[in-house]
Amino acid sequence: MPEETNSSVNPSAAPSWPVHEDTTAKWFLISSIAYFFIVGIIAVVIAAKFVWPSLLGTVQYLTYGRLRPLHVNGMLFGWLLAADMGLTYFMVPRLCGVKLWSEKLGVATAALWNVIVLGAVVSLLMGWNQGLEYAELPLALDVLVVVAWIMFGANIFLTIASRKYDQMYVSIWYIMGTILWTAFVYLTGNFAVLFATGVNQANLNWMYVHNAVGLIFTPVGLAIAYYFIPKSSNTPLYSHKLSMIGFWALAFVYVWTGAHHMIHGPISQWLQTIAIAFSLMLLIPVWAVVYNFFATMKGQWYQLKDNIALKFLMSGVVFYLLTCFQGPMHSLRSVNAIVSKTDWIPGHAHMAVLGAFSFFAIAGTYWMIPRVFKTSLFSEGLANWSFWFMMIGGLGFFVTLRLGGFWQGWQWNNVAIPFIDTVVALKPVWIVRFFSGILMFLGIVSFSYNIMATILGAKDRPAVAA
Amino acid sequence: MLRKADSNFGFAVVAALIFFFIGGTLTTVVPPLVDKSWGKAFENNDPAKGPTGKLQPYTELELKGRAVYVREGCWYCHTQQTRTLLSDTKRSGWKGVDSPISTPDEFVYDNPHMFGTKRTGPDLSRVGGKYDTQWHRTHFRNPRDLVPGSIMPPFPWIVENQEEFTALVAYMQTLGRAKNWRPDNDYEK
Ligand code: HEC
Repeated sequence: MPEETNSSVNPSAAPSWPVHEDTTAKWFLISSIAYFFIVGIIAVVIAAKFVWPSLLGTVQYLTYGRLRPLHVNGMLFGWLLAADMGLTYFMVPRLCGVKLWSEKLGVATAALWNVIVLGAVVSLLMGWNQGLEYAELPLALDVLVVVAWIMFGANIFLTIASRKYDQMYVSIWYIMGTILWTAFVYLTGNFAVLFATGVNQANLNWMYVHNAVGLIFTPVGLAIAYYFIPKSSNTPLYSHKLSMIGFWALAFVYVWTGAHHMIHGPISQWLQTIAIAFSLMLLIPVWAVVYNFFATMKGQWYQLKDNIALKFLMSGVVFYLLTCFQGPMHSLRSVNAIVSKTDWIPGHAHMAVLGAFSFFAIAGTYWMIPRVFKTSLFSEGLANWSFWFMMIGGLGFFVTLRLGGFWQGWQWNNVAIPFIDTVVALKPVWIVRFFSGILMFLGIVSFSYNIMATILGAKDRPAVAA
Repeated sequence: MLRKADSNFGFAVVAALIFFFIGGTLTTVVPPLVDKSWGKAFENNDPAKGPTGKLQPYTELELKGRAVYVREGCWYCHTQQTRTLLSDTKRSGWKGVDSPISTPDEFVYDNPHMFGTKRTGPDLSRVGGKYDTQWHRTHFRNPRDLVPGSIMPPFPWIVENQEEFTALVAYMQTLGRAKNWRPDNDYEK
């Protein structure tokens, strides 16, 4: 039963919209999709290197150890975070019933963001790597990220402060949370770490790595899901109260869990235990959120058939549920002893970042682009192809790496098997991963082509309903 | 409280930050204050307490080699931690002797830390002295010449740069050497 349906809580009922320019949202989205495509090529090359390790081997700029951070940073900051920011510039003014505080500032932020991403490409290929995961970029770029984040945060906060509706829809809290937490998480992971060494530094590093996903991509991803699921299905959110429980549980629980990256490793046992206990508690906010989404869809599932945004959204929710169940489970000491450091880990990471959060961002893009360009999608059929490419490629990737990783860990624990045999044994897994990667890349191609064609041919097609 | 945060901007912001800082402080600032081994270099002269030895700061040459290790992203494929798992101590072991587990005090000079998250290749926390320079030269030029089936990338530009190669090998030979754990002290150079 829908609990509340007043206008500020239900994004689908709006009294009088101001006219939104959306220039910032457009620029962020367009550049993010370009990076999604380019970095997608790099992803496929990396997957190929596992099967043909000498591929491009003599070109130092294209060695595995330089392409991998480019893939990770490119996908996280070039594609996903930029797309999430673009969607935020779209959602917040609409949820507040006012225009964005400053489009000029927004466009400047988009420009700066592109400078950062291009700087990252050059730095990482040159090997100017700080040696800390997710924090590879040189200090100068880190400073620019902070500046861009302040510009973004100020714009969004000033928009929220001037809102017309008193009550804030759940997406707004998640966005405010993202902006605030990111500031501190990023400062810890990129600046505080510089003043520490050894285990102390690793602990700060893992706090950042974990919360880059948990307190940056999770809350902004959920803000997107909370906005677009009710919106694209024209159904009010099931429970406002449940969404609050999910939010405050996330705010409290997530930050404790960084040390679960070093279970069984050289870090204090009691800290490992705390990280495990809080990792298990993560199930609370996750299940609260997922229950809310499923209950919203009750009686509405038939809409998935020809609603591309909803297809991506609800598959994303399922992946979110699965990856967030698996995460706490592999923090348990017994499970960790098998799967830690194996190929299971990239399986897990891709289900979160691609399967859940990128699916949300893709859904938002499919919804937003036709509306801000006052047109309709170039091809629903092609959009459907992009969904199935990513779905089948994604599943192939997740399932084989999970099973393969588990098997790999099992072999490592049997010391009678020489290490190199465990490498050779995984070859079939990496071949399947490569072909799954090709499918995922075809998904990216059909997605980005569709969006590009929608924008370029905007005048030729009638506008969809806002 | 939930109701208040719902429509009060300032309250929501402050509450979100307080929630964050409780866990944030207790798990990052407090642990190094409680567990002193995070900041004190390893030193032990008493064989009854486990392997003896003393952690030395890196020399300039070793630091140069370490920078190559960081630059080439070796740490995306190699961890540097012998965990509290039997299989780790055996796999890092030598001639049937199990390696000691890694402790925080062995890493206080590591900046950036190189613990790693993924073992595409074997753990390197006790690789110091396992192979000689010639082995490393051949291995970096093309790993598959020495270990068929390896998926480690070739690094010809390191081998061809005598300075970088010497530095990298000097660094590799320090790994895990703070603790004198091999009974015959038969470390390769
Ligand atoms: C794509 C992953 C990958 C990268 C990157 C990589 N390695 Fe390896 N490494 C492996 C694999 C797999 C093995 C095991 C097979 C072998 O010995 O070649 C290995 C083995 C080793 C060994 C032998 C370990 C032992 O105990 O036998 C050393 C030493 C080593 N690598 C050093 C390095 C250094 C230094 C770098 C960076 C310049 C590096 N590796 C980069 C995958 C990688």
